[in-house]
Parts: sequence; C-alpha cells; structure tokens
Amino acid sequence: MQTPATSIQQKPAWRRTLDTNGVFLLWTAFLLIFPFLVGAISGTSPTGRRGESVFQQGVMIEYLTYAMLAMSYNLIFGFTGVISFGHALFFGAGGYILGGAARALGGETGVIVGVVLAIVASTGLGLLIGIVSLRLKGVYYAMFTLAVAEMFYIFFRRNPETGSEDGFGLGSSLPELLGQRIVLFYLTVILFILMFLFIRRLMFSPTGAVLLGIRENENRAKTVGYNTLRYKLFAITLAGVLATITGMLYALLNRKVGPEMFFVNFTVNPLLHTIVGGIGTFIGPILGAVGLSWLERTIRSTVLTVGESQINIGQWWAIILGVIFVAVVLIFPYGVVGTWNRAAPHIRKWISRFLPGRNAESG
Amino acid sequence: MEGIFAPERRSTLIAVLIIFVGLLGFSFLTTGADMAQLSITLLSGLLQGMLLFLVASGLSIIFGLMDVLNFAQGAFFMIGAYIGWEIQHAPNLMKAIPDPNLRFLVGIAGAVIVGAVLGAGLERGLLRPLYARPIFQLVATFGVSLIALEVVKLIWGTAPRSWTEDFTLSSGEFSLFGQFFSTYRLVVIVVGVLLIVGIAVLLKRTRIGITIRAGVEDSSMVEALGINVRLVFTGVFVLGCAVASFGGVIAAPFLGASNAMGAEFLLGAIAAVVLGGLGSYEGTAIASLMVGIAKAVVAKFSVQYLNQPVWESLTPMILMAAILLLRPSGLFGKE
Repeated sequence: MQTPATSIQQKPAWRRTLDTNGVFLLWTAFLLIFPFLVGAISGTSPTGRRGESVFQQGVMIEYLTYAMLAMSYNLIFGFTGVISFGHALFFGAGGYILGGAARALGGETGVIVGVVLAIVASTGLGLLIGIVSLRLKGVYYAMFTLAVAEMFYIFFRRNPETGSEDGFGLGSSLPELLGQRIVLFYLTVILFILMFLFIRRLMFSPTGAVLLGIRENENRAKTVGYNTLRYKLFAITLAGVLATITGMLYALLNRKVGPEMFFVNFTVNPLLHTIVGGIGTFIGPILGAVGLSWLERTIRSTVLTVGESQINIGQWWAIILGVIFVAVVLIFPYGVVGTWNRAAPHIRKWISRFLPGRNAESG
Repeated sequence: MEGIFAPERRSTLIAVLIIFVGLLGFSFLTTGADMAQLSITLLSGLLQGMLLFLVASGLSIIFGLMDVLNFAQGAFFMIGAYIGWEIQHAPNLMKAIPDPNLRFLVGIAGAVIVGAVLGAGLERGLLRPLYARPIFQLVATFGVSLIALEVVKLIWGTAPRSWTEDFTLSSGEFSLFGQFFSTYRLVVIVVGVLLIVGIAVLLKRTRIGITIRAGVEDSSMVEALGINVRLVFTGVFVLGCAVASFGGVIAAPFLGASNAMGAEFLLGAIAAVVLGGLGSYEGTAIASLMVGIAKAVVAKFSVQYLNQPVWESLTPMILMAAILLLRPSGLFGKE
C-alpha cells in the first residue's frame, strides 16, 4: 500500500502540498468560514454583538484557547517530558498583566503595552522559575511549580487592589475594535494557527530533536554533550509565553480577569486534554481540548428527566471527567491520537484482508 | 535518628538552628517581648506544624519507599475532617451515642478506617498498574484528589462546616502567662509529638521498618530475599493515608471541615517535604515544625503591622523557594 517514492516525485508541487497538508488546510478553511457558516445556517449576522453566530464564535474562541493552552502544555509535558503543575501561573499572569495595563492606560495603548509587558514578564517569570527549580528532579519541579502558582492564586484572591475574589472587568477600558466578537474570533484563529505551525516547525528543528531526546533519556542527551538544562529552560519559558498569550485571549473573551485564572484548574485541564488527546502528538492536545470542552458544555446543559424528578447532571461533570481521565490513564495511556497511530497499521491490515487483490502487497 | 547528626550534616543542622532562632527572635520582636503573646504564637505555630506533619509524613514516607508523590494526601486530610464532623454532628448518631467524648473517639476510628480503606483501594486499583510509568502515577493521584474534592462537594456541599458539638477536651482551657489556650490544642501537639516518635521508632527499630528502609534503598534486592515488597508498599501507602485522615479528624474540632482545607494542607505539606528533603523522615518532621512556626509568626506580624493576612498563606511557599535556591534538594535530601 506504500506509494513508491517515484510517484511522489512525479506529482506537481501543489499536489504534494495538498497531500501532506490537506487536512490542515481543510480545517483552516473551516475555521475561517466558521462565522459565516453558522450565520448562514441559523440566519443570523456574523457581526454585531448578539445572535447565534456571534454566540457560537464565542464558544469556538473558548475551545481554541483551551486547545492553545493544551498545545503549550504539551510542549513541555509531551515533547520535553517535564511535568509542571503550575501552568496556570502563566495563563493568569497574561490575563492580569493585560487587564492591569488596560485598566491603567485604557484604549489601544493599554492593550499594546499590556501585551508587550505580559510577554516580557512571562519570559522573565519562566526563566526565573526555571533557573530556581529546573535543577530539581521531576517531582520537585512539579511540586515547586504547583506551589508557586497556588501562591499567586492565594495572593490575587485576597488582594483587594485587584478586586479580590471577583477580579475586575475590562469592558470599559478595552478599545472598541476588540469589543466586536468577530475581530476577536479571527485574532484567535490566526494565533491558534500560528501557534500550531510554530510548534510543528520547532519540533522538526534540531532544537526539537534535542527536546525529544531529553524526554526519552535526559542522561543520554547530557552525555552526548547537550546542555539539557538550557534546552529545558528554553522549553518551559516558551511554553510559559504561549500560555500567557492564551491567557490574554481568554481575558479578552470574557472581558474580565479573576483569580480563578491562576487556579489549578487551568493546569489540570490542559494536562487532561493532552493525556486524553495523546501526549507528544501535534493534534492530540487540540482534539482533547475541543472534545472534552464540547462534552463538558453538553453535559452541563443536560437535564435528565427520570420519572417525575429532574436530575441536573452538570454537577457530576467533574466526576465524569475524573472517570474518563482515570480510564484513559489506565487503558489508553497514549490517548486518542497515540492509540490510533499505534492501531492504524493493524486496522488497515485487517481491513485489507477483506479487499481482494490487496493481500499480496500488504502482507 | 543518627542520619541527621552525621558529621557532614553539621552545617545543615547549624542552618536549621539559625532559622529557628531567627524565627524566635522575630516573634519576640513582633510581640514586643510580651511573654503571653509570644508563647501563644509559638504554641499555635507548633500546632500548625504538627498538623502539617501528619499530612507531610505520609507524603515523605510514601515517596521515599515507592517514588510516588501522593497528591491525594491533602484530600485524605479533608475527608478525615468531614467524617469526624459527620459522626460528631449527625442527628442519628447523636441519639445512638449521646456521650460526645465517645462519639469523637468513634469519629477518629471512622476517619482512620475510611482513610485506610480508600488508601488501599487507591494503591491497589490505580497505582499498581502504573509503577512502570511514574509520571502517570503523579497525574493519577492528582486526578484522584480532584475527584475526591468533587465527591465531598456533592455530599457535604461547599459551605464550610464548623464544629458545634463540644466534648470535654475541646471546651477546656488553660492559662499561660495570663493568656488562655485551648487544652485540646495542646493535646493535639502532644499527640503529634508522639506520632513523630512512634513512626520514627517503627521505621528505625522494628522489622517492618527495616524492610521499608531496605525497600527504599533497593526494592528488587528485598524482593529477591523473599519479602513481598508489593505488600509493604500497600501497607506504607495505607499508613500514610490513615495518618493524614487522622490529622484531619483531630484538627476538625478547631478548624471545622471545608473544601479548601485539603489543598491548603497539601501545599503546606509539600513545602515542608521539599524543605526537609524528599524521602528524609527527620527532615520532614523538622521542616513541618519550621513551616508551622513561620506561618504563626508571620500571621502575628502581618495582623499586627500590615493588616494584610495574605502573607501567612504565602509563607510556606516563600520559605520553600528560598531554601530551594540555596539547596536544590532540600535541607536533608540526598544530593
């Protein structure tokens, strides 16, 4: 069933691009026409402030931010093999710094200054945490990051200057342009695609190869002569910056920031999304994030009617998620994508048994 | 206990001593050399340290033996507190066992048993299949702690439960330099000390302890000698969970039971375990007390001068970060 190498050569360039990137281009196109597609189906305008299309855009932005968070988490957890329990720290930092700058300066200046500040600050934060803690072994690192993130959570929950438990709203201090859902939607889609391409490019580069080498066997990578500490530092800082960008998008979507952005949920969710989707794969985290977020949304809004009584199963969501998670960890440790990659050759072989004339080739 | 007094540990011991003296001096200044205030601050610090130790000891021993960091340890503390509270306050049980002292003892037994059973289930069901994949163990215990929190929310709701059914000990008070302090809290401190010593004796002076320590060094060698290491693993895990549960139930009379206490104590315990050095039992004990006292001193200071209670909850993490900067494997950890 393998296509001989010669036939690839004979295909024209555009055809080869389509063969390798077809699925990616298809999804990109889908995301780009999404607002108009939903608008056409539901008969609502994709622009403006209300309507089905605008609402669905918001849902999609949420899914994409979760997917981006999972992708950034996968960069350290899946590709470098460093387990962090403090990813929410960067997510929250992005939100609060952007929010703080927008509130202090207002308008376009506030947002631009906020974005720059947030990226600079999260780079510094990533380097600082890395330098302090990367000498620690895996578990120490996990605990340390959990403690630091939790520290920020507690701090912002109790700090009256940032609105304590409630956080603060950004509505009035954001520029008019970002108030339009469709602008935010395309911003998110572009950043999402850029992040995907960037991570893919990175992992096919020599640096990416070293990161994978560290995941597989850090001592070996060290022996070969790589300064693994420096590469790990790079990975966690980069993942931190990507999470910060995601946090900013999330704050822009909700038009508020709150201490819950530092909460351990925003570490656990990308972790679960990555594991369920497939650790160390490119589309696994996206699949996990979108799939599980969709499931959560569906389950939370479902009310079961059993006889007379109505059962709101939304409150069971966390437990359902926990069970899914434990089942995946125990039974499908490679996640959806990883399991599929492993099983696909066998399935193809099995199917080809029933197709006449293919037997000789595939055997 | 000879491990921490070894000659190469001398500088560490001196550093620990300096930290404790520093904390004492700081609290001395904060309270304005008022003996009553000072002793109350230190006693509440000791109390917090003991409670932290009950969570941290399990964390430390389980990690030392099995290389598993049990993130669900805090959840066991919380479950212990809720079960103790429930047994003390459930109307049916109040009718069946009118004596509040007896009910409290039943509560302790109940919490310990539930903790042990859940711990055994967790080790057997979830951790055993994952020994080949340590990162997943970490993730799995983390997941379990979240599930436990949700289950507790479903059963008891999110509103904190406060302890209203007093028993003889919990209503007693004694005075120290003219300040009143609950007798029960003193008892908890004493129980904590007894547990520290008891577990130390178990680890250092009994056959089981020798097996456990040998397992820490080289579990496959112990297995080769015909000892069922897996069984020892389960036993140690159960012990750790039961002790955390016990901590929860004896803390409930003054802390009550709340959703947040699991995470709070887990974080404090993590700070203590990392400070002391992963896998070092003595280190964990010393660091728990250090974190507890530091928390109490900072709480006193921030209430008195800063009017900003947030620093108390940040203390363990700041202390941990500072020590880790100087010593990447904690005070008594192996390099």
